[in-house]
Amino acid sequence: MPNSDINVENIDPLIHEPSRLMIMAQLYIVQSADFLFLLRQTQMTPGNLSAHLRKLEDAGYVEITKEFIERKPHTALALTKKGRSAFKQYRRDIKQIADNLPE
Amino acid sequence: MAKEPNLKEIERRAYMSYHQDGLLDIFAGLFVLGYGLGIYMDIVWEFGFGTIIPAILIATVLPIWIAAKRKITMPRIGFVNFGIRGASKITAIFIGLMVVGLGFFFVFTLAASQSGLRQWLDIIFQNGTLIVGFGSLAVCTLFGYSMGLKRLYAYGLLAMIALVIGHFTGIFFAYILVALGTTVTIAGFALLIGFIRKYPLQGGKAIAE
Repeated sequence: MPNSDINVENIDPLIHEPSRLMIMAQLYIVQSADFLFLLRQTQMTPGNLSAHLRKLEDAGYVEITKEFIERKPHTALALTKKGRSAFKQYRRDIKQIADNLPE
Repeated sequence: MAKEPNLKEIERRAYMSYHQDGLLDIFAGLFVLGYGLGIYMDIVWEFGFGTIIPAILIATVLPIWIAAKRKITMPRIGFVNFGIRGASKITAIFIGLMVVGLGFFFVFTLAASQSGLRQWLDIIFQNGTLIVGFGSLAVCTLFGYSMGLKRLYAYGLLAMIALVIGHFTGIFFAYILVALGTTVTIAGFALLIGFIRKYPLQGGKAIAE
C-alpha cells in the first residue's frame, strides 16, 4: 500500500530524466556556462547534449544565447528564473519523497 | 528512482576542473622564484622594495595568467561563469589576507616606534624563516580548502618543512624560495602537460555547436 504522503506525480518528468537532471544541476551551480563546459562535465555526446538542451529550452528552463567572443561563435547557457525555481521545487519534491520512505 | 543530486560535489568538481591545468601552480611557482631571485640579487630589501616587488610581480603575472587561461584552458574545457558565489570565497580569503597583512604592518610600525616593543620585533626577525614557513602552510591550507585543491596542502607542507629546515641549518632564505618556486613551477608544467593530453583541442565546429 503506497504511503499517501508520497506523491510521485509531483515530480517534474522533464527534470527527472538523468541526463537533463545532470544538465540542470550543472547550470544551477553556475551563473552561465558554454556548450563545451557542459559537454566536459556531463560526459555526453554533442548530439545528445544538444537534444536535451533543446527540450529544456522549449520548456523555458534554459536560455541559450549565441554570441561572438573575439570573433569566435560562443554558445552561452544559463538557467532561466523559471528553470531555477523548477529545479528548486524538484529538489524539495525528491527530498520529501525520500524522507517519507520507510527505513 | 533518481537521488537528489549532490550539488556540493558537482560544484566542487566543476570548480576543480578549472584548476587542473597547472597554470595556478606555474604562476605561483614563478612568483616565489622571482621573489627568491629578488632577495638573492639584493633588490627586494634594498630601497624598501619588500612590498613593491610582490605588487610588481602580481601586476605582471596576473594578466599573463588570465591570457593563458583564455588560450589554453577555455578552448579545452569551455567557459564558465561561477557568479558571485564562486568568486566570493576567493575574494573573502584575499580580503582576509590583506587585513592580516595590514594588521602586521601596523603592528610592525608601532613596534618599531616603541622602544619597549623593539625586542618583540627582533624576535620576529630572528625567527622570520620559521614564521614564513608556518604562514605558508596556513595560507596554502586556506586556499587549498576553499578551492578544493588538495595539492595546495602538499605545497604548504613542503614550504613549511623547507623553511623550518632552513631556519635550523641557516640556509640562505633566497635559496629556499628559489628551490620551492622551481619545484612548484615544474609540478605546474607536469600538470599542464597532463591537462593538454587529457583535453585535446577538438574540431571547433562540432564542439562549439
